[in-house]
Amino acid sequence: MTTMNSRERILKMFAGEELDRPPCFSGFGNVTTEGLKALNQNFAATHLDAKMMAAAAASTYKLFGFECAVAPFDLCIEAEAMGCEINVYAHSEDLLYPTIKKKLILNEAELDFVVPSGLTGRGRVPLMVDVIKQLKKDIGNEAAIGSFVLGPFTLAGQIMELNDLLKLSFKKPDKIGKLLDQMSDVIIQVAQEYEKAGVDYISVREMGATSDVLSPRVFKSLILPYLKKIFAKITVPSVLHICGKTNDIVHAMAESGARAISVDQKNDVAETRKKLGPKALIFGNYDPYNVLVAGTPDLVRQTIKKCMDDGVSAVWPGCDIWPTVPPENMKAMMDEVRKYRR
Amino acid sequence: MATEEKTKEIKEKLRNAVIQYDEDASKEAAQEALNEGLDANDAIFNGLVSGMEEVGRLFEAQEYFVPEMLMCADALYAGLDILKPHVKQLDLGMKGSVVIGTVEGDVHDIGKNIVKMMFDVAGFTVYDLGRDVPLDKFVQEQMKTDSDLVCLSAMMTTTMTGMKKVIDDLRAKNPNVKIMLGGAPVSQDVADKYGADGYAKDASNALKDAINMVSSLKKLKDEAEAKKAK
Repeated sequence: MTTMNSRERILKMFAGEELDRPPCFSGFGNVTTEGLKALNQNFAATHLDAKMMAAAAASTYKLFGFECAVAPFDLCIEAEAMGCEINVYAHSEDLLYPTIKKKLILNEAELDFVVPSGLTGRGRVPLMVDVIKQLKKDIGNEAAIGSFVLGPFTLAGQIMELNDLLKLSFKKPDKIGKLLDQMSDVIIQVAQEYEKAGVDYISVREMGATSDVLSPRVFKSLILPYLKKIFAKITVPSVLHICGKTNDIVHAMAESGARAISVDQKNDVAETRKKLGPKALIFGNYDPYNVLVAGTPDLVRQTIKKCMDDGVSAVWPGCDIWPTVPPENMKAMMDEVRKYRR
Repeated sequence: MATEEKTKEIKEKLRNAVIQYDEDASKEAAQEALNEGLDANDAIFNGLVSGMEEVGRLFEAQEYFVPEMLMCADALYAGLDILKPHVKQLDLGMKGSVVIGTVEGDVHDIGKNIVKMMFDVAGFTVYDLGRDVPLDKFVQEQMKTDSDLVCLSAMMTTTMTGMKKVIDDLRAKNPNVKIMLGGAPVSQDVADKYGADGYAKDASNALKDAINMVSSLKKLKDEAEAKKAK
């Protein structure tokens, strides 16, 4: 077999072609402390500077051969574009991810919310476009370049109190439906902007809709229609990610129109593979903290092998990779995937 | 004084109001309990809390999810607000105060609020620091209030690691303080590694843990009363 590079491997997989082994990549942040150290970069500043963000995003591929580069690293881009102020914790020496400082919708009466116009010129959306272009130029021929947007429910949870969102989903589903529709339009605009900049794939992170929080019934009736709307508008390969309990919603996830579904360690992937058949793209499902960061290289190897034996289409973490991952664990993961044969 | 039958009926009403997340029914039943001269403690523990225990069971059985649980909590508070002023001061031989909050970088507070509710029910003095709390603040607040218990919550892996720092600081300053962790990414393993006294892995678990804590406090109280009676 002719050798293929990481990007080719990932694109072939999305195209449904047979591969010798699954790719090992992610749809979420995977910057490492090792990478930041090599670049001599501070984490808080990295979120606000295109050059720094692109360099950090590319570093995991460059250092460990992890097969993609993904930016951004935080979950605030869309909410910020709508007018939320963010906190990057510039004062802190710890690794803290930016969060939203103040919500836009503070009570039920404020649900009649108007999305500002010119969204793609606001907040850090232009910065993200710049980051994606820099990544394409730097390693875009060798590694897959990915980005992510939030799902409509998770995004609604960024701009209003989660407490209210959850209760109103139950009490006033019509009102929440209308808000989710608006969120979908925001998400589509941002995703299309990333596509124009040249991303190879986009993940939609809808972790707020996990079965740990919401019933599969509400997921299907309230959220799935808007996910379908979003995936219908994304033209590059797309991934729907939901963490936590997902065993009872994998069919619905597959129905969303996403090219692939992404699940975490709580999903029984062997069972999901049976449910969705041999052709479905299922990404997952190792625990990026308890295994990859806190585990031994042996545990990493066993876990990664099990993911592949269970039938994942790509070895992919259940969430962002926590930066303090030991280099020997990254190496153990990459080795285990490279030597695997179906 | 209400008859035994009437007492039972009112407590059942409180319990059902919580289970059916009916705030109005909870208020009405709480008022009825006072009018009929029920012991407020009895009404809280064997009415409202008993309802919340059932809610925990329904959550575990995946009949209820977080939205329902939040609405049940609202119903519990509706009754509790009426009954609480009538609770006789619990004499537990300990101060019964707790510092609680979600660690810096994390803006999720639903799990934390459910645990807080159980401490409210138990008559603890609760120092709620809210969410996205700078790590030093936990230690400062514990020192200031001399609280027996500190509860730290983190909903994301990306913020969980901050808890270790708080625990180390607390232990260095006050070895006797009890520390409980909560949140989706926390495991027994993490709790052990970080040196915490207990952990709650999800809302239902947090609820159960808090109820256990409350029950054991109640036992202490009953024992204290039995001693007094002798």
